[in-house]
Amino acid sequence: MKGRIPIRIANKRAYIWDVDDLDKVRSEHHICGLLVGTLPHLSQQNVFLGLPAQLTPEEATLLVEKEYAVFVDDTNAYPEPSLSQFQQWNAEQKRYIEHQRAALESENVKSSEVAQLVVSEEAVRKRKERELRRQQKALELRRLQEVEGDGAVHAILSQPIPTPSADVQALFSDLRPTTSSAPAQYNICIAASSSSLEWYSPESCSYSTIDAARTAGIWDFPSNLQDRARYGVFKDLWEQGYFLGGGIRFGGDYLVYPGDPLRYHSHFCATVIESPTHTIRPMEIVAHGRLGTATKKTHLFCGWDDEKKTVSYVSIEWAGFG
Amino acid sequence: MLEIHPSYPALASLIEKYPAHRGSLFQTYNDILLAQQWRDVQVIDLGDCRRGALRGKRPKTATDPESLLHVIPCSLAESISMAWIQNVFSALDNPHSVYLAVVSDDSSIVYYKLSPGIVKPSI
Repeated sequence: MKGRIPIRIANKRAYIWDVDDLDKVRSEHHICGLLVGTLPHLSQQNVFLGLPAQLTPEEATLLVEKEYAVFVDDTNAYPEPSLSQFQQWNAEQKRYIEHQRAALESENVKSSEVAQLVVSEEAVRKRKERELRRQQKALELRRLQEVEGDGAVHAILSQPIPTPSADVQALFSDLRPTTSSAPAQYNICIAASSSSLEWYSPESCSYSTIDAARTAGIWDFPSNLQDRARYGVFKDLWEQGYFLGGGIRFGGDYLVYPGDPLRYHSHFCATVIESPTHTIRPMEIVAHGRLGTATKKTHLFCGWDDEKKTVSYVSIEWAGFG
Repeated sequence: MLEIHPSYPALASLIEKYPAHRGSLFQTYNDILLAQQWRDVQVIDLGDCRRGALRGKRPKTATDPESLLHVIPCSLAESISMAWIQNVFSALDNPHSVYLAVVSDDSSIVYYKLSPGIVKPSI
């Protein structure tokens, strides 16, 4: 099992979380997967996706069957940490928080310097003028109320008016570095990858064969004739050196590329046919054939024989007449 | 009415043998011979496949006019299968391709080239 790529299984879906593994799978094993990771705070954006890469059931099954990869039951790869492991983790967290505090303090000095620069003399003078005007206005209003003798309004206005100058002072004092009242705030960092945790033990729940993973209840592809046909066709084309992609854009099951899809256009769009006697309607031949020819692709009917475990191919193109 | 058509004598034996496919055979024969202008068109019995087929050459102006090509008539309403296609190839002694003529009720015909194996698109 050493040296094999870990394919992490969650909810019977297969993921690759390590970029080096993804590189290896693509360049050495001709398996592309699909990047599905997005940013936690921008989960709507799907233009630039990143890790993890999700593998199709066929891709994942093939990598394990060819002994390039193992399945890891990731949910159960995190047992309860032991006391010493937990204490160690806790100490590391505390160290990290202390580190942040120290960093924040040195940053505070800088920010107050910046604040002083921003509040120029001109701004201070203007602010004082504004304060003065407001105080005078309030004073005039109070006098007016006293003259008119309106009790209720008088009661409200006679309350001491908060002087803006005090507010401004408070603002400045906030920005001033004060060693005694250093902010008790710190960030908690949750790493995207938790495989570095002391108690992570994938060895205990790794499966090097499809059967073992099936018995453990984490994997069930291929489970029926349709799955077996899809997998049989996928494997047969892969073994001939083709790269395979999803065929939905051209109405098939797979797109068949002669090399890496980043470098080549696909030459074929493949449809999986479950058995030699499975019904094909002539209309399918017309629809697939015409679309394929219009997009410079041959349509492949890939017939699976579940008894012989073999695939036979028929290539379809428009005749060019009629 | 089929019987008085000039094409009937060439097709008579297969029409009687496989009456279910007489419509598609008749339409395809006429289209290949008269509209597509193929030469040396012969009618052949596919035996195990229980239907007739055609063999001929494209017009002199076509590319590679001397190669002998096969056309299998088939109704749009039929259901076929991989085994069916395989049988057709076997009955014709495994040519590198055949043309499937798909005939609809209004007698319009489309032709699709079927080749066994994985054959790259022609550029």
